[in-house]
Amino acid sequence: MTWSQSMARRIGTMLVVLAVGGAVVHGQAPADLETKEEQAFKAAAVNVAPSVVRIQTVGGLDRVGRTLTGTGATTGLVVSADGFVISSAFNFISKPASVLVTLADGRRFPAKIVANDRARMLTLLKIAADGLSTVSPVPRKNFRVGQWAIALGRTYDSPLPNLSVGILSALDRVWGRAVQTDAKISPANYGGPLVDIQGRVIGVLVPLSQRQSGQTAGVEWYDSGIGFAIPMVDILSTLPRLKTGEDLLPGLMGITLKRGDVYAVAAVIDRVRFNSPAEKSGMKPGDVIASIDGREISRLVQVRHALGNKYAGETIKVVVRRGDKKVDQQIQLVGKLEPYAPAYLGILPRRRLVGDKTVGVTVRGILPESPASQAKLLPGDRVVRVDGTAVADVAGLLDIISRHRIGETVKVQVERREARQTLTATLSGIPPTVPAIIESAIIAAPEPKPANLPGTGRISEDLAGHNHNFWAYVPETYNPAHGYGLVVWIHPGGDTMEADIHDLWKPICEERGLILVGPRAKKVSGWNLGEAGFVEALVQEMQKRYRIDGRRIVLHSYSDGARFGYHLAFRYRSLFRGVAVSSEPLRLSPPENRPELRLQFFLSCGDKDNLFGLVQKSRARLETMKYPVTLTPVAGDGHNYPPVPVIDAMGRWIDLLDRI
Amino acid sequence: MRVRILVLFGLALLELTGPGAAVAQSIHSTIQRVQSRMVKVFGAGGIRRLHAYSTGFLVSPTGHVATVWSHVLDTDELTVVLADGRRISAKVLGAEPQLDLAVLQLKADGLELPAWNLASDSGDAGPGTRVLGFSNMFKVATGDEKVSVLHGVVATKAPLATRRGSFETAYEGTAFIVDAVTNNPGAGGGVLTTRGGRLLGMIGKELRNAETNTWVNYAVPISEIRKPIEEIIAGRYRARQREPEGVDEVARFRPLDFGLVLVPDVLFRTPAFVDRVQPGSAAARAGLQPDDLVLFVNGDLIQSCRVLKQRLGRLEAGGVLKLTVRRGDRLVPAELPVPAKSSTPSGEKSR
Repeated sequence: MTWSQSMARRIGTMLVVLAVGGAVVHGQAPADLETKEEQAFKAAAVNVAPSVVRIQTVGGLDRVGRTLTGTGATTGLVVSADGFVISSAFNFISKPASVLVTLADGRRFPAKIVANDRARMLTLLKIAADGLSTVSPVPRKNFRVGQWAIALGRTYDSPLPNLSVGILSALDRVWGRAVQTDAKISPANYGGPLVDIQGRVIGVLVPLSQRQSGQTAGVEWYDSGIGFAIPMVDILSTLPRLKTGEDLLPGLMGITLKRGDVYAVAAVIDRVRFNSPAEKSGMKPGDVIASIDGREISRLVQVRHALGNKYAGETIKVVVRRGDKKVDQQIQLVGKLEPYAPAYLGILPRRRLVGDKTVGVTVRGILPESPASQAKLLPGDRVVRVDGTAVADVAGLLDIISRHRIGETVKVQVERREARQTLTATLSGIPPTVPAIIESAIIAAPEPKPANLPGTGRISEDLAGHNHNFWAYVPETYNPAHGYGLVVWIHPGGDTMEADIHDLWKPICEERGLILVGPRAKKVSGWNLGEAGFVEALVQEMQKRYRIDGRRIVLHSYSDGARFGYHLAFRYRSLFRGVAVSSEPLRLSPPENRPELRLQFFLSCGDKDNLFGLVQKSRARLETMKYPVTLTPVAGDGHNYPPVPVIDAMGRWIDLLDRI
Repeated sequence: MRVRILVLFGLALLELTGPGAAVAQSIHSTIQRVQSRMVKVFGAGGIRRLHAYSTGFLVSPTGHVATVWSHVLDTDELTVVLADGRRISAKVLGAEPQLDLAVLQLKADGLELPAWNLASDSGDAGPGTRVLGFSNMFKVATGDEKVSVLHGVVATKAPLATRRGSFETAYEGTAFIVDAVTNNPGAGGGVLTTRGGRLLGMIGKELRNAETNTWVNYAVPISEIRKPIEEIIAGRYRARQREPEGVDEVARFRPLDFGLVLVPDVLFRTPAFVDRVQPGSAAARAGLQPDDLVLFVNGDLIQSCRVLKQRLGRLEAGGVLKLTVRRGDRLVPAELPVPAKSSTPSGEKSR
């Protein structure tokens, strides 16, 4: 009898004893039973221990997002005798130069990263070893909420894995991807197994979050009693694909659903992304999803559950209701969607005053050489319908145009001097240049001056509830009947540049109806990504105090401050509509542009600056993702804050952010 | 073989009868016994978010209290609250900062208190052993209220700091790491016991693991602190010699002393790749090659050029430097003699 068989028998005997105990209350079992349970925990750990390996990494980043990446040992689990090891993707987010695996017997091997499962946040490694001990998985039908669950890691210098004991708290968590446990899950055991009391593997421990995706999502829940494991049976079923070196991506259809309480409303398709699997299969806005793979769908949240476990490349069966009809569709999911290139009509809408209930969109200006100018729209026209759909306001017009693609033709009905006429425009893309002249948008001071106006002029104070302070400039003529643009100045490391920025931007704020706000980093020497929440809170505070036009909230930064600026822009997609960066390239890969979250870029850089080439590449990267980008080179300039003409252009560009 | 162990929470609410009651009784008596020997310690703090309280346990019937060495004790106005609510002034009798240990003496005569006998009441435990933690974490217990009890298992018994710098603590020995969140503000000086009431260790201060950026829950084994406690009480304890300050600055040897030129150290964690090997050097004789990645020095993982330089700096003259390098997909060991003296001038910054 081998050692493991004898162990299995010992556990078997123990379980008989447990069964005799009957309905036993955790924490209040008879003394001998309690001792036996404790022995069973230890035996379960010993049973799996030969397959639990230690992983160490060398080199790599020290920070990913807000999370300081550890350099300590992490854990992996042998999944096949010929040297494949599965672990949590969290253990490799620092992009290490070298990965080492130490087996339970102390042998050490360099490891290769074979592939990643980006839906379940797992990484497969390969080492040049053979004859390794593998584990047996618990069949899904045997999962029981309340059963013992023992979490193992191999992060300490000890011959036995470190363990934590809990129970299975829930099944089918995080859109069906994981089981939940109250054992303490942390970097001390991410990548290790969650085992049952017989030493069979329930799953592999990973940080996950319901709300966020991304590499570090869920880490904040470490040791909280909320931990997740990806079921071993699921891992084994995708293992053949991972072994070939194929990265597995979450499967996408290319639809967005109408917003609402996800637990209450039906799944009504709002948008179908161009060239996406959904469009190719003939799905249309307004379709209601009735079932996916035979699972009936009556509420929005069920769509996420049905798709949570699907990978790119898989085919699903979707039934939609279209009017009285039911339409069956086969859809092959993809990992990446084609980014959306925003369509453009070429009008500047007139901004409404408080209380203005005019229906339609009044044209403030027509942009030169735009579809609108070719279609002979004129300033003062009021757009009332597009392609037969009534236009209520700016948001409505923007929504209609954003559902079109570049090159499509729209019929625009306008009211001009009390008469209605219909003009035809062929939509283009947003041009990469800023017109030399945009009529200024000076706002007159309110007359008479209302009481209780919020502070104007130069302001410097602490933000309540945050251990940070900020400065701001609000035009003395601030008039709460108008919406103001907001420029959020993200200073570079080592210098807040407060006086210069104030002096340069003050006239532009007055000319273009802008408020300037300058958060100050905790340490002037540079921004820490953890300060993102403060900047978000500051913008919200400004929105509370002043009337801010949500379409013109801009991040502006210079030099290395822009690393933080770019981070903010992509982190708070629904907050910021523009990014104006001087003398700093984009150092992260941007997500694709989305029609419902408009974001535009203004880059400038001295053409003698060493970074100029990289800034040009940044424009190309942003354009690949279909963002509208303007790049203004400063002739003969090195690494400097841009001169007045460029700031003027920036001001005009901000004034254009609500163009349609 | 199938097993279903259902934890029936509902039952926990019912009146305890039948087979469960006996153990519940025994745990209950364990807890009562332990709690009677626990004290709450109040001292300095309260400013700059420093807590002004901690926990302690009685180690003699005449009023000696073992507790954690911390800023709380840095005052003349120490107050100890016994399990029965009595408040007694105390003084620090002795301390061992390297073990994070202090022993207090209650300022009262004729005491006859329930106390631990460290020789006969202590025990040991390994991974998976169920344990109880007792402490006045977050000052939840006030007046004569008993300290809080947590339950969990021993995650592992292992050295707390296997390498310099991974933990910000004075204590570097073996510790019980537990899976319950035992180490909270004020919990330091509490105890970890088995469910049978055997004393395992003293709960330490809050501690962040610098390697994983997570908080660690641990207790210092009684076996490590028993002797110092007994010696302090007996009045014959001498604190251990502290290592000289600034020990991290030691730079006795540099890569060049072995004939190694590393790649330029440009990142926070530049991997320690060999750029060149000087002909005829110790590194050349040991067969090291350009592009080798240095992974281990005398068994310790080397995660960057910076760490390699620190580690070489601390070598003792005349010993053996054992390296493991990664060459392609292989791990290659190499042994180099450590010279008697560094050849590079000591004033020069290592590059």
